[in-house]
Amino acid sequence: MSKEVSEEGKTHHGKDYVDPPPAPLLDMGELKSWSFYRALIAEFIATLLFLYVTVATVIGHKKQTGPCDGVGLLGIAWAFGGMIFVLVYCTAGISGGHINPAVTFGLFLARKVSLVRALGYMIAQCLGAICGVGFVKAFMKTPYNTLGGGANTVADGYSKGTALGAEIIGTFVLVYTVFSATDPKRSARDSHIPVLAPLPIGFAVFMVHLATIPITGTGINPARSFGAAVIYNNEKAWDDQWIFWVGPFLGALAAAAYHQYILRASAIKALGSFRSNATN
Amino acid sequence: MAKDVEGPEGFQTRDYEDPPPTPFFDADELTKWSLYRAVIAEFVATLLFLYITVLTVIGYKIQSDTKAGGVDCGGVGILGIAWAFGGMIFILVYCTAGISGGHINPAVTFGLFLARKVSLIRAVLYMVAQCLGAICGVGFVKAFQSSYYDRYGGGANSLADGYNTGTGLAAEIIGTFVLVYTVFSATDPKRNARDSHVPVLAPLPIGFAVFMVHLATIPITGTGINPARSFGAAVIYNKSKPWDDHWIFWVGPFIGAAIAAFYHQFVLRASGSKSLGSFRSAANV
Repeated sequence: MSKEVSEEGKTHHGKDYVDPPPAPLLDMGELKSWSFYRALIAEFIATLLFLYVTVATVIGHKKQTGPCDGVGLLGIAWAFGGMIFVLVYCTAGISGGHINPAVTFGLFLARKVSLVRALGYMIAQCLGAICGVGFVKAFMKTPYNTLGGGANTVADGYSKGTALGAEIIGTFVLVYTVFSATDPKRSARDSHIPVLAPLPIGFAVFMVHLATIPITGTGINPARSFGAAVIYNNEKAWDDQWIFWVGPFLGALAAAAYHQYILRASAIKALGSFRSNATN
Repeated sequence: MAKDVEGPEGFQTRDYEDPPPTPFFDADELTKWSLYRAVIAEFVATLLFLYITVLTVIGYKIQSDTKAGGVDCGGVGILGIAWAFGGMIFILVYCTAGISGGHINPAVTFGLFLARKVSLIRAVLYMVAQCLGAICGVGFVKAFQSSYYDRYGGGANSLADGYNTGTGLAAEIIGTFVLVYTVFSATDPKRNARDSHVPVLAPLPIGFAVFMVHLATIPITGTGINPARSFGAAVIYNKSKPWDDHWIFWVGPFIGAAIAAFYHQFVLRASGSKSLGSFRSAANV
C-alpha cells in the first residue's frame, strides 16, 4: 500500500518514507549532549529492572517445594518477554530501548548508532545487569546461591555446539524483529505509530525463551548472561560464558545482513538492477 | 457507521477501494526482485517458525518425561506450546507482512490465491519456499538434539490414539477455517479503511487465531492447520505413522481455506449478489 506523497523541492522521490542517513562512526559531539547521558542512564536502569524481575522470577520458581508450585517455565518465559515489552515501551523514545548488547551491536552494524554510543550502551547494560542480579542476591541470598543464581549454562545432554547454534538463531529472531519493528519503511505505512513496535519485540523474546530454556536457560542477551555470571561467580557459568557473547553477536550480525541486504536490498538498489517501482 | 463521502464520480460513496483481482499468470513478476525477496522472506520465516515451535515441543517432552530425569509440571506445558505456535505466527507475520504478505502457511497462500489476491506463480513459489523452510527449520532442531528428537516423536503431526481419521480431518478443516477467515478479516480493505489504516494490528488476531486452534486441537492431531509445518516434521522424522496420516494435513487445511475464502468473498463481502444488484440496502455496502 503505497501512498501518494507530494514532496516540494524533491525530484524523483516517489517513496513515502525517508531512510535516515547512516550514523557517523565516531561522533564525539554526542559526548557533549545531555540526551546521550540520559540514554545511558535509561539503558542502565532498564537492564537493572529487567534482570531484577527475571532472575527473581527464576529463583522464586526454583525455590518452591513442589514441581508444580512455582510459575513454571512458561511463567519464566513470560517474565523475560513481558519485561522486554514493558521496558522497550518505556525507553524507546529515550535510548531506542535496546536493553541488550546484541541488539545494540546489530543496530551499530546497520549504521543506526555510532560507535561511541554503541560502546556506551553496552557498558551501561552490563553494569545494569550486574546491579539487577545483585539486588536479587541481596534480597534472597541463600536460595540464590543454592539454586543456580539464574546463570546461563549449557544443560546436561546438550553439546556446546548446540548451545551456540541455539543462541545464534535465537538472537537472529530477536534482532530481526527489532529491525522489522524499527524499519522506517514500515513506520510510514503503519501511520507512524512506533508505540506498537515493543509488542512483537517482547513476543520474540518470549518465544525464544520457550524454545531454548531447556538448552541454555536462554541467553540471547550478553548483558543478562554476564550479570548473572558475575554475581553467581561459579566456574561452570564462566566456562560457558563465551557462548553467550559469540552466539548473540553472530546472530545479530546475521540479522543485520539479512535485513539490510535481502529485505531492504541495499546492495541491489545501489546497482540499480531489479528496480520494480519507485516505492521499492 | 456509514460515512458520507463525496466522490468525483456519480454513485461513488464508498470510503474504501477493493484492489483489482490479481492476474492469474503474471510472468512480469518473475523479473522483479520483490518477488524473490518475498520468497526468501517466506522461506526464512517458515524456517524460524518450525525451529522455535518444534524445539519448544521437544523441550517440553524432555522436561516432563518423569522416567528420564524430568518432573511433573516440568517444561512450558501444552499451553506454552500453543503460545509458541501463536506467538511465532504473530511475530513473523508482523515482520514479513510488508514484504511477502506474511503467509508462512500454504493453506493461507491457497486461500488468498482462491480470492485472487496472489497470482498462481507467486502462490506456487510461496508454497515451495514454505515447505523447504519447514524442512530446514526442523532439520536444525534435529541437528541440535538428534537423540532427543527421535525419542520424543520429532514434533510430527499424527492422529492421537482414540480419534478416528474423520475426526482428525474435521478438526483440521475447522481449525484452518478459523485461521484463514481471520486472515481475510485482518486484510480486508473495507476494515482497513475503517480502522484508520493501521495494518500493524493485523498480525495480532492472526497469531491469536493460531494460538486458539492449538489450544483446541493439540490433543487430537498435535494441530497441523499448516501443511508446511506438518510436511517439514514428517520429512525429518521420517516414520511410517506420520506419513500414513499425512494426507489429513494437506486435504484438511486446503478444504478449510477454500471454505473460508468462499465464506468471506461470497457471504461477508457478498461479491455475487452485489454484481447482480440485489439486496442493495445502502450505497456504501
